Amino acid sequence: MTTAAFGTHNWGMVVDVDKCIGCNACVVACQAENNIPINTQDRVERARSIAWIRVERYWIGDFPDAKAQFIPIMCQHCENAPCEPVCPVYATYHDAEGMNIQVYNRCVGTRYCANGCPYIVRFFNYWEPVWPESLRNHLNPDVTVRSRGIMEKCSFCVHRIRRVARGARSAGVEIADGAIQTACSSACPTSALNFGNFNDPNSKVSKMRDDKRHYTLLDQFGTDPNVIYLAKIDANKKVGAGEASSHG
Amino acid sequence: MLIPVLALGGLGAIAVMGVVGAFIITGWLGQPVPVLGFEQTFNQPIDFPHTVHASLNQLDRVAADGQPMEGLGLNCTYCHRTVTTQANAGVPPVSFCATCHGVIGAEDNPQLAKLRDAAGIVGDDGASPINWKRVTRLPDSVRFVHEPHIRFLTQNPSQIKGVTDGVAQGAAGTCSTCHGNVASMKQVEQVEPLKMGQCVDCHRDNNAPTTCSACHY
Repeated sequence: MTTAAFGTHNWGMVVDVDKCIGCNACVVACQAENNIPINTQDRVERARSIAWIRVERYWIGDFPDAKAQFIPIMCQHCENAPCEPVCPVYATYHDAEGMNIQVYNRCVGTRYCANGCPYIVRFFNYWEPVWPESLRNHLNPDVTVRSRGIMEKCSFCVHRIRRVARGARSAGVEIADGAIQTACSSACPTSALNFGNFNDPNSKVSKMRDDKRHYTLLDQFGTDPNVIYLAKIDANKKVGAGEASSHG
Repeated sequence: MLIPVLALGGLGAIAVMGVVGAFIITGWLGQPVPVLGFEQTFNQPIDFPHTVHASLNQLDRVAADGQPMEGLGLNCTYCHRTVTTQANAGVPPVSFCATCHGVIGAEDNPQLAKLRDAAGIVGDDGASPINWKRVTRLPDSVRFVHEPHIRFLTQNPSQIKGVTDGVAQGAAGTCSTCHGNVASMKQVEQVEPLKMGQCVDCHRDNNAPTTCSACHY
């Protein structure tokens, strides 16, 4: 096989929740990168807005000692994805690189997958996407514009993966760690979002995943996500006597 | 128009349905019959002859000195410069045409007059791009990138299909696999159906990825 061969990677993401400051730069970057239609007020009011990545905010404590905590949530690219077996036309499937793929031209819009997803990261196009004339030339030519009646979700910026992999194959080298950045991870000012290859034990994400703070969302469902979260560190938490030594 | 059909009754209706059905099936399996706006070739704003530029054969044209004309045999990549490095083959800007045609070519040639007008050499309205009509089209859901295909066919010449009247060296020798013998075309047309079955057949034969997300994203 040639270098950077297809199917030899396992793409994934490590989200350090402790670093997230809730700035929403990832949301804006994703919106611009992936030709996501503009979420107008009436769409938001009808709970039909589309955001492939969202930052959820939780208030901890009561006023005046309340603190906001943030967690960015995108498609978890589950190894045992609940969305995949319910699709009657195989429009969503798990590929050899650990990604949950949405094939827009196969999708017939049954919305079963969105009902199956416990993370609520799948979005249905209830309307034909419309952009103001001033934004017509801002669309990303590498990403399909989804028409009405099609399900869509975070793709791990697959077009960026393909572009970097193509360049690596052309140059005959392996894909360097960190060479592929998704739109959200490249926009993140605090490096809370990290993208990389879990198959490489020396990659940044593989080392981050070994952190003892790691957990996955809704672990009880056994979806085995490829997005790993690192728990927030609570500075006020009293460390128990037994834990003190292990915390170092 | 329907009167003869109605006169024949059921037989006429079956005949009409047969013709329409045959049209749909041919369009489904390959390219539609070139009628009713389904033509595969277009009248371009300028009659650019690939024969003169890319072919090496003798042409049915006469040069200014009365001698029969031969094709220039330019390499495809001479004009379509980005084809070996990027997704799109690239159509050269008018200024690139004008590097030759600012000097070369009869002044009374009406097609070259249009080109020189567009390049801003003649006329006083400055330079303006030519709105070439796109001949080879793929659906919006497909991301086709020229670069890996040219690279593979350059490294594996045995997979090249078709012949060309032009220069068949380097990247130029690989284009005929999908685009046919462009060097022989006065008006470029799409010769292969370029449907997904054709893509997948070739990808299977050559161990290229056939996962959906290789092309659809």
